[in-house]
Amino acid sequence: MEPAVHLDGITKRFPGVVANDDVDLLVERGSVHALLGENGAGKTTLMNVLYGLYEPTEGDVYVDGDGLADGDDSPHRYAQPPKRFDSPADAIDAGVGMIHQHFMLVDPMSVTENITLGNEPRKWGGLAVDSARSRDEVVDLCDRYGFDVDPDAAIEDVSVGVQQRVEILKALYRGADILILDEPTAVLTPQEVEDLFAVFEELTAQGKTIIFISHKLGEAMHAADDITVLRDGKNVGTVAADDVTREQLAEMMVGREVLETVDKPPVERGESVLTVDHVSATDERGVEAVSDVSFTVHEGEVFGIAGVDGNGQSELIEAITGLRKPTAGSVAFQRDDITNWPRQRRIDEGMAYIPEDRHERGLVMDFDLTENGLLGSQHTPPFAESGRIEWDRARTHAQDIIDEYDVRPPNRDAKASSFSGGNQQKFIVGREFERDPSLVVATHPTRGVDIGSTEFIHDRLLDLRSNGKAVLLVSSKLEEVQGLSDRLAVMHDGEIMDVVDPETVTEEEIGLLMAGEQLPEDSAARSLTEAGDRSVAAGGESQ
Amino acid sequence: MSNATLERTSDLSTRRLAGIAALVAAAVFVLWGLVAPASTPGRILRVMFTKSALSATLRLSVPIAFAALGGIFAEKSGVINIGLEGLLIISAFTGVYATDVTGDIWLGLLIGVVSSVLLAALFAVVCIEFRADQIIAGLAVWLIALGLAPFASQVIYGGPNTASVETFNTITIPGLAGIPFFGALFDASPMVYLMFVATVASWYTLNRTSFGRWVIASGENPKALDTAGVDVTRVRYAAVLISGLLAGIGGAALSLSLGQFVGNGQTMVNGKGFIAIVAYLFGNYNPVGALLSTFLFAGLDALQLRLQAAAIIAVPQSLVRTIPYVAVIVVLALFGKTRLPEAAGEHYESGEDR
Repeated sequence: MEPAVHLDGITKRFPGVVANDDVDLLVERGSVHALLGENGAGKTTLMNVLYGLYEPTEGDVYVDGDGLADGDDSPHRYAQPPKRFDSPADAIDAGVGMIHQHFMLVDPMSVTENITLGNEPRKWGGLAVDSARSRDEVVDLCDRYGFDVDPDAAIEDVSVGVQQRVEILKALYRGADILILDEPTAVLTPQEVEDLFAVFEELTAQGKTIIFISHKLGEAMHAADDITVLRDGKNVGTVAADDVTREQLAEMMVGREVLETVDKPPVERGESVLTVDHVSATDERGVEAVSDVSFTVHEGEVFGIAGVDGNGQSELIEAITGLRKPTAGSVAFQRDDITNWPRQRRIDEGMAYIPEDRHERGLVMDFDLTENGLLGSQHTPPFAESGRIEWDRARTHAQDIIDEYDVRPPNRDAKASSFSGGNQQKFIVGREFERDPSLVVATHPTRGVDIGSTEFIHDRLLDLRSNGKAVLLVSSKLEEVQGLSDRLAVMHDGEIMDVVDPETVTEEEIGLLMAGEQLPEDSAARSLTEAGDRSVAAGGESQ
Repeated sequence: MSNATLERTSDLSTRRLAGIAALVAAAVFVLWGLVAPASTPGRILRVMFTKSALSATLRLSVPIAFAALGGIFAEKSGVINIGLEGLLIISAFTGVYATDVTGDIWLGLLIGVVSSVLLAALFAVVCIEFRADQIIAGLAVWLIALGLAPFASQVIYGGPNTASVETFNTITIPGLAGIPFFGALFDASPMVYLMFVATVASWYTLNRTSFGRWVIASGENPKALDTAGVDVTRVRYAAVLISGLLAGIGGAALSLSLGQFVGNGQTMVNGKGFIAIVAYLFGNYNPVGALLSTFLFAGLDALQLRLQAAAIIAVPQSLVRTIPYVAVIVVLALFGKTRLPEAAGEHYESGEDR
């Protein structure tokens, strides 16, 4: 084995937190190495150390072919002293390039201008950028690595997948031999993910080394040669992707057996909590997105809505939560017609909402957790007394959510933007559940969340159900809605195709409904639309 | 959110209609004037298209254009410099004072520019180093200059206005200067020529040099520039100092073409720095566009002065005086489609993530 990178005993401490604890990492030259772990396991911190963004508290970084090539892993044998990267510029000089989760691109500039930024070829004694030469160099680079990128396109006009390739080209243009990618697939469509993995193969074939950070088991096993699992800042182990099973990896990640199936205790179904009656709604363009949808959610019930994203789920949920005015129909909550209620009143009366876009609707990124924990309750006692906010109360509230929902790092004074996506989500879930709601509207509650937190959120949703609360769950993850729901509605093109029993329905049948077809006559799946309606008619009589 | 998007699209189309209506009205006005030279539009046109009107336009353009060019550099780099007015005032005064003391108008110009660069440097330190709010710091620059210059004049000359000093001689290009109307372009102060040179040089710097790329990147996505190994702070300092340099030339040129600094009220600068901001916004941060919109506003100013003198239309003088400012509002409301740099007005701190 010929290592390209050797991290030796890296420890990185932040005030109050140990992000990396004595981590060793050995990456073979010309391989794809996945760094797998849950949100907050210290993957990004470790890579930021390698890239010179953070200085390690302890430990050494070796990145040098000459020093590492003698085949002996013992650091004392290296001809070269360890590297000290004080800044990304040092790391770039040593051949390390990093592609961040949020791209570092200048939108109005062209692909070529972005790739050459800071290293522009010049002419006339430095008085002008040699545009022709920059373009040629970029075209050459694209040809060499088989990238299909238009060098003259403006960044704001190209897709996210292309932008990511521009980032990779930028690193290659600066002579990177080792490429670090932070969660590269998070922003990509499935097709773009395949293209990216093809790019990995092309790059490693030409001797480049790739390290990518991921929390998705499947893609690590699919794309990587070796996988190193981090948990709580420690290296749990490095395995070859071919010699390991999903279950083994999952166990390494969370440190215990992952329960594949959700344990769902039987609960007596109670009175109706939410009744959606012939609701229609339009989207931003004024096109009808929800057409004549009716259903009822009862106490002690999880009502799931499955469907391909963009089939009217978002608009329907917004119509229910008061963020969008339905064009027809009515929404009833407990005993009241709430169609024209303002948002605040819905919150006050016990409707909790986990929004699908946590950055846009769930949190104010520039607020700390104390302030975020207050959102939605800022006018109501005990957090507000006669127009004045009780900050002490708000602080203990935020701290309770942090403790209860295991938000890491446990710092209520840190800005929301400084937390990882999974921890942000846990905080939102905590805030909404702590309202003691009678109804929780949860849209994609586990999107971008690691396995451990996902399981946690699922358990909490089922706890609510056991306590006789109603849950309306929207998710594009089939196993999630199928596993949690008592009744499952499938949406297609703004309509509910059918409401089925998630226990008896098959994945193929859900697929049919999601594609807009009807269930075949001889289907074993029980259609529950009638049952739901009947119970409404009978005034919420339990089944 | 959805309604806002909808309204914005419909809003755009009404704006476009209003814009077309305004253009049609202008065209009708010009045609009317051409067909019937004795009518009011005809007389206004005759006042507009004279050599002296063009030369007044150019003269009035100089401070606005230089300040606008400076403003482009600062704002493109992400630092909104609304203190341009203050930079014009300070250099207008210092230019005259230094000319008075040294007896050399070019040395006076240089010292005027230095004073503006120093004030811009103060602004840069406050905004970049100490992360002050750029708008408030910019207003402070204006208020400091507005207080300081007339006060210095009071102390030195015993009144808000300074003594008279020599002015720039016009440079006349023989032959070309004789062309009707456009001859004014070849019979002008050296500052007018310098204005054209500076516009071209600014355009070149922003669009063809590495530094220009860095300025743009610094205003759009400073983090991208930082990770590319370029020091954002240095780029922003340089850009703000350049804005001080250019505005300084504009301010000193203004007072030295009159030979005196007038410190009454809003001083002789009288809002030109703010018009400059409108000019570069209307020119969409393109130096050439900024120069053209400067001509528009300066031309209307020149026209306004002539209309007052000629008393063609029976409108009170004080209303005539508002023509350039009304034009600013109309132009921005109907035609403005400026895209601000993404990170304009935001602080940037390199270093540890987040």
